[in-house]
Amino acid sequence: MSLLDQLPFFGKKQAFSIVPRQTIAARTLALLVAIMTFLSCVTFGAVYLVQNSTLAWSSEVGREITVQLQPREDEQMLSDIRVAISLAKQTPGVANAFELTLEDSEELLTPWLGEQFDISAFHLPQLVIVQLSDPSEFDLEALETSLKATIDEIGIDTHALWRQQLNAMAGTVVVSGVLALVLILSATALAIIFATGGAMATNREIVDVLHFIGASDSYIASSFQDRFLAIGLQGGLVGGAAAITFFFVASTITNALLPQQSASQVELLFGQFTLGWMGFFGLLAMVAVVAVLTAITSRLTVHRFLAQIAP
Amino acid sequence: MISFQDVGLRYGAGPEILKNLNFQVDPGSFHFLTGPSGSGKTSLLRLLLLSMRPTSGRMEMFGKNTRELSKAEMMAMRQHIGIVFQEFRLLDHLTTFENVALPLVVRGEPESAYRSNVEELLEWVGLGHQMNVRPELLSGGEKQRAAIARAVIAKPDLLLADEPTGNVDPELSERLLHLFVELNRMGTTIILATHELQMLDKFRFPRLQLSDGGVNVTA
Repeated sequence: MSLLDQLPFFGKKQAFSIVPRQTIAARTLALLVAIMTFLSCVTFGAVYLVQNSTLAWSSEVGREITVQLQPREDEQMLSDIRVAISLAKQTPGVANAFELTLEDSEELLTPWLGEQFDISAFHLPQLVIVQLSDPSEFDLEALETSLKATIDEIGIDTHALWRQQLNAMAGTVVVSGVLALVLILSATALAIIFATGGAMATNREIVDVLHFIGASDSYIASSFQDRFLAIGLQGGLVGGAAAITFFFVASTITNALLPQQSASQVELLFGQFTLGWMGFFGLLAMVAVVAVLTAITSRLTVHRFLAQIAP
Repeated sequence: MISFQDVGLRYGAGPEILKNLNFQVDPGSFHFLTGPSGSGKTSLLRLLLLSMRPTSGRMEMFGKNTRELSKAEMMAMRQHIGIVFQEFRLLDHLTTFENVALPLVVRGEPESAYRSNVEELLEWVGLGHQMNVRPELLSGGEKQRAAIARAVIAKPDLLLADEPTGNVDPELSERLLHLFVELNRMGTTIILATHELQMLDKFRFPRLQLSDGGVNVTA
């Protein structure tokens, strides 16, 4: 007898279980709940990771603007850069401003273009990164005016378009994920209804005998729902543990098994696979949701079954 | 306790199995229910067990018209009725002890309150050594005795028994009949369906004789 079987979830605990513990229907239901919990947890985890990464990216990008200076002769270029940095630092809300050297650009592009790529062969704009201490205090218009008054052919990129697209993409992923989660939980409820109906039909003889000796519908329903809740929790815990293992293995693979560059690319594209404590509690919440869904759905199904059969 | 007034029963659109039954069973009485195979003994027991309702006439049990009983009232009334099925109907996943204790368990009694009573009864019906085995390991006679023990453990006001001694040897059959008589002496009303003439001759109780769908009560 497992620990879960001994928990008196509803009503009075009996000396023995009136409902058989190990039946094919019970095992099928537990397996079904485990699979559905795994799918729910993976969907939840994926949505959580995307949303977290997007928030982190968006927040990081929102605290930076880029000043682009067109390529010129060396001395003029260096002078323009120094002026741009100085003007940026004088602007309210700016924490720091610095030049992104060709080496820095090369390093950033290496994960995508490889180490053999020679960036100096291209006439790329020179970039000045302006880091903001407080985006709400930052006066973009003032900086833009002062820069354009001092330096020719200058461009300022606040990454607004990129952030907008990123947020739209993340929003789509989150909504799709939530929709998928709702569909998975709906499918779970339907599957539980069929599995419970099957289990009740299998145990019809027990129900009849209990009726003949005077057991009320609520007593019979209580006996069966205790069993179904235990099955739901068992299946849910197995599915939840499998999902946690999945995220742990995925995190380990990206962090350890892939070469450093590939891991960086994967991390840039999908963010980190690490869920953190909040994500972990979210997975546990999914397990609880599926277990409660199993208990409620099976309870309603059992009551419907008992109402339909002759006493 | 039981009153039948022009009670009839048919299954669906089929012919009437029981017709115009008129009889009364007083509290504390003992009746044999007899009749040839197919005369409707099991159908009458189903009516008395409240698992069917008469298609015509008026049937009263414990002073109440069974047509007017709600499902909850029906279940509550069944707690006063013990039943021994011809085909035993023990639950396969429970031990003999658990099967016999079942009526007490569904009444919410704790194991400490019923354990000694169940053990004592099982000893009395000769199943003391089979207390912890499941029905699949019991012989037909042992299953029959377990089914009888389950029916009487809660000391019902009314005991219905469908061929309760059909699977046991004559010696045990007589012992079991004495158990029923003892229960009757303690106040339990008993209706026992049987076609064993030897038993009918030995225990002189009134008979509900079924034939051609009707009933004839003989003292």
